[in-house]
Amino acid sequence: MAKREVEEINAGSMADIAFLLLIFFLITTTMNLPQVQEERLPQKSDVEFLLNEKNVLQIMANKNDKIGIEGEFAELEDIQHAVIKFYQHEDGARNLPSYIEVDKATCEDTIESLEAALAVYPDAALFKIELDAWTRRLDAVNAFGGSGFKTLPNNATVSIQMDNSTKYETYMKVLDQIMLGLNHLRDSLCVDKFNVPFSKLNDKVESDKQKISAIRQVYPKKIMKEKNRSVQ
Amino acid sequence: MSKFSKGKKKKEPGISTAALPDIVFMLLFFFMVTTVFKEKETNKLEIDKVAIKETIDLEKNIKAAYFWIGRVPGRVDDFRVQLDDDLINDYEEIRDYLVKLRKNPEYSQVWDSRFFNVFKVDKKTEMRIVKKVQDELKEAEAFKVVYSVNKEK
Repeated sequence: MAKREVEEINAGSMADIAFLLLIFFLITTTMNLPQVQEERLPQKSDVEFLLNEKNVLQIMANKNDKIGIEGEFAELEDIQHAVIKFYQHEDGARNLPSYIEVDKATCEDTIESLEAALAVYPDAALFKIELDAWTRRLDAVNAFGGSGFKTLPNNATVSIQMDNSTKYETYMKVLDQIMLGLNHLRDSLCVDKFNVPFSKLNDKVESDKQKISAIRQVYPKKIMKEKNRSVQ
Repeated sequence: MSKFSKGKKKKEPGISTAALPDIVFMLLFFFMVTTVFKEKETNKLEIDKVAIKETIDLEKNIKAAYFWIGRVPGRVDDFRVQLDDDLINDYEEIRDYLVKLRKNPEYSQVWDSRFFNVFKVDKKTEMRIVKKVQDELKEAEAFKVVYSVNKEK
């Protein structure tokens, strides 16, 4: 038998295959985004807020990075439990804030009366803030399918006070503990209401966005930083 | 007198790969334009970042001012602040810098939404330094702060 010449394989489609792979991996690869902790600085103001003692959860750190909660020495991990207790406790408990009840009727009534008040005093900033807050609460009630919830009053806040010599690391850990406590509450509420953990919601998706803001209405992140001064 | 020869079947030509470089360059340019680089780094200060558990992703395509606070290499307990490229000597430089930045329409349009002050701070830094920097931010009405951290496993 005569020897036949071996035919060359056509390599023209190799490039296509390579590009297909390249594009596939380029699209599916996500670069690691830098991890951060967020904070919003307060507006500069000379007004001293009068706060009810029981509406404030006071967390302090002294110059040796020792933590204090409500004036007593504590460990770092205690902060998240204190935060959980601050946001979620039995109504009427001593030294803890009392809740405000939010449901559809209350929201609508309050919005109506605030609008009436704003019609008379169009420049009253406080009314505008309140109107804004209640509108968002109404949105939250709607997102929960009409069921009401209870939340902390507007002036309830977690207060952080750091000594001038406190290390930055301690400050970050304290913020972290507060967020751990808060996210724990948000997660369980979110699973309860929407069957999905809070951390899995994506703020780029419109329907998730509503859920996020609804959950935030129930457990708002409220941290007040007091002026750095020497803490014993 | 036709210039085009009809009839006689020619040998089929191979697939032209002349357009391949164009495609490659198109891809290259596309990704060059859309890629966001991970992080800016400093070489003037030593910074040991804090690791915490609850972190969030830094948003993409933000406008930012970068603040580094850390130790000057080779010296003990000499903490300095670096703003963008230079170490600052006086905290008021921060205010001037931000005010100047805000005059740029690219920044002023997104000042309240997508402008961030990104802090990279050494864990041993005392809070008084952070506080002084942030006082200047308040003066310049730049309220959004993010702290760059490592994620604790």
